[in-house]
Amino acid sequence: MLLGGTLSELPALRYTPAGVAIQELVISHESQQQENGAQRRAQAAVKAVAVGQTGIALSRLPLGQTLVVKGFLAASSQRYPDRLVLHIDEYELLN
Amino acid sequence: MSERFATVALDVPLPRVFDYRLPGMQQVAVGQRVIVPFGRQVLSGVVLALGETAPDVATVRDVLDVPADMPALPDDVLDLCRFCADYYAYPLGAVLAAALPGAFRQPKPWPGHEDAGAYVAPDPAALLATLSPRAARQRALAELLAQPRRVETIRAVAGDAMRWLRDWIAAGWVVRTAAPTLDAEVAPAASPALNAGQQAAVDAVAAPQGFQPWLLYGITGSGKTEVYLRAIEAVRRRGRQALVLVPEINLTPQLESRFRARFPQEHIVSLHSGLADGERVRHWLDAAEGRAGIVLGTRLAVFAPLPRLGLVVVDEEHDASYRQAEGFRYSARDAAIYRARLRDVPVLLGSATPSLESWKNARDGRYRLLRLTERAVSGARPPAVELVPTQRQRLTDGFSDTVLGALRDTLASGGQALVFVNRRGYAPVLSCQECGWMSSCRHCSARLVLHLTERRLRCHHCGHEERVPPACPDCGNHDLKPVGHGTQRVEAVLETLFPDANLLRIDRDSTRRKGALGEMLRRVHAGEADLLVGTQMLAKGHDFPGLALVVVLNADGGLFSADFRAEERLFAQLLQVAGRAGRADRAGRVLVQTHYPDHPFYAALLAGDYAAFADGQLQERRALALPPYAAWAVLRAEARQLQLALAFLRETKALLAGSAVHVADPVPAALARKAGWERAHVVLSASGRAPLQAALRFLAQHLAEAPPRGVRWALDVDPQEF
Repeated sequence: MLLGGTLSELPALRYTPAGVAIQELVISHESQQQENGAQRRAQAAVKAVAVGQTGIALSRLPLGQTLVVKGFLAASSQRYPDRLVLHIDEYELLN
Repeated sequence: MSERFATVALDVPLPRVFDYRLPGMQQVAVGQRVIVPFGRQVLSGVVLALGETAPDVATVRDVLDVPADMPALPDDVLDLCRFCADYYAYPLGAVLAAALPGAFRQPKPWPGHEDAGAYVAPDPAALLATLSPRAARQRALAELLAQPRRVETIRAVAGDAMRWLRDWIAAGWVVRTAAPTLDAEVAPAASPALNAGQQAAVDAVAAPQGFQPWLLYGITGSGKTEVYLRAIEAVRRRGRQALVLVPEINLTPQLESRFRARFPQEHIVSLHSGLADGERVRHWLDAAEGRAGIVLGTRLAVFAPLPRLGLVVVDEEHDASYRQAEGFRYSARDAAIYRARLRDVPVLLGSATPSLESWKNARDGRYRLLRLTERAVSGARPPAVELVPTQRQRLTDGFSDTVLGALRDTLASGGQALVFVNRRGYAPVLSCQECGWMSSCRHCSARLVLHLTERRLRCHHCGHEERVPPACPDCGNHDLKPVGHGTQRVEAVLETLFPDANLLRIDRDSTRRKGALGEMLRRVHAGEADLLVGTQMLAKGHDFPGLALVVVLNADGGLFSADFRAEERLFAQLLQVAGRAGRADRAGRVLVQTHYPDHPFYAALLAGDYAAFADGQLQERRALALPPYAAWAVLRAEARQLQLALAFLRETKALLAGSAVHVADPVPAALARKAGWERAHVVLSASGRAPLQAALRFLAQHLAEAPPRGVRWALDVDPQEF
């Protein structure tokens, strides 16, 4: 899936016990969409995560950066299968 | 001339002894060690009996050698070993082997025994004149040799000390001499004044008497060691030897230096498995030949021959380390009591949290109870224990705000604080929260512990280790998370929260190097470290006068154990840890973080009344017919397949049908798989000792004669763990 938006939260980069970089982030999305034959505004704050080199690269971005990311959705934990996190595999910076 | 024969105990897994012919004029006494052929091997054994009638077997082989390196074991040591062999249903030869230093188990004479003497420089000034003024160590050794010194003392001066000694002997500066004299010019350290309780205890134990077990129940910091010292002083004045048992090797040097300061004229030796072979043999010989007045040692010291034994002391008698966990599973405390009985001397058991076995004996009047209810340093108060409930609190990396505030205050006021976490490593498990995977040992039914500094996952049961996987082996998730807190993680958290503190972690991993623990303890005593993170290693016996705060994290685990002794152990452990605080002039504070503040266990802990807790536990044990109100043993079995182990146990159970012993059903052990072996056991219980002993004797004999195929078995009498 693809998601465009701005970087609105960027906590400190952390590392797993094996030494893999993990960057969690929140992307704020705002767009115009079609619903039931009418135009409407869609807004969302999407939790995302990037692992390894992608994570390190994202950790250097400033807040407010506009970007488009590509990746997949997965549950944040077994316990809360309905809380989704977007795992970022590729990204592209805009402006 | 008639032939002579010797009955010899050998360290072989058979509950029997062997006969040999004594060739020629060989002089042998009962208790002496002999070297004999056994099958195609050559073994060292101990002579149990001598006779002139030929044993009733086809061929009798000859004793090969009678090394004169070891004096014959005296009757009381042989009797103690016989008692242990019978009580623990373990082969006598193996018991005797465990009782001897390693060098005397070798089927060859000990080469070092001519080195038991001392060395002296008849003209130290002349020797000094030959040395460079800058060779400080060499000069120190030369000055030391003005008096005769033993090899151990010389070796302690420098790594090259023995080489210098050899050179000086060759040059004629140093000569070998007989027994060394002791430092007569050093004044003994002053003995502190006793309080009324200590005085009464000393009077009771130091009075001349025959066999009498005394249970010295004294709160932490009440000066139990001072009572030992005074009682030993009295025994030494009568020219008798004192045997002092301590639970752990790492406590021996500390106690040893305290004993040496107090008794500079005494020859004090230590006996523990941390000694080099030769040193241990020399110490053992000093004890056996009556040269040593005081013998300090761990559990194996209970078997040391002591010709003039006058008193046995067992410090921290409740400690699980007195119990050998593998092989010959004996309790050194119980052996010490039997030894004292054989020698008709008093035995002093000391503890702030006596074992329920000893407590019951004291309550029944078999042991006499001595109480120390005040702290020895006047003005020092026992620490106040407080619970910090965590059910409704947000924790910062495992710490509640109350605890963090207390740590901050203590450090700001210049005091030392100890955070007690009884788990080493970074986290007890690494887990994948997306799919539920957890790091498990492939050889044991146990979790692999994350050791972050080494980036390894380690099994604390079998020693297996592997690298930390970069992603979940089941689902591929990279974000594997440590769960729970071990000492390494607590250290890391405290490092960020208190960057200015001098942090020191003391656990089995950080003290692996020889001498590391001693150095760390020195730093604590010197005040160079003010924030300590430690496991139960720090809970025992160490005296930290500057310690003002003790924090206990994750104590709750012990509350829900299936083991009926878990609460007794947890209480003892928490009271011991708490006892580290406020030992000098500071009032100590102890904070216990818990999820279950209403658990009745904590009410007893807060009351701080071990006597009341122990009485309550005894009532429960009596009602449930658990030890010490019943005699228990466990038959343990291990096999590659659980079914094999269980089948063996079922067959063995059937053998005991109709006996007076109750045999429970075979069950898998708590750690059902260890190092690739499936483990199971049956509990044997009886209302009295006699029927249990009879059953054990029968089982040991039967299983040794008809060993099960593919099953390893062991009998564990008075089992401490399941």
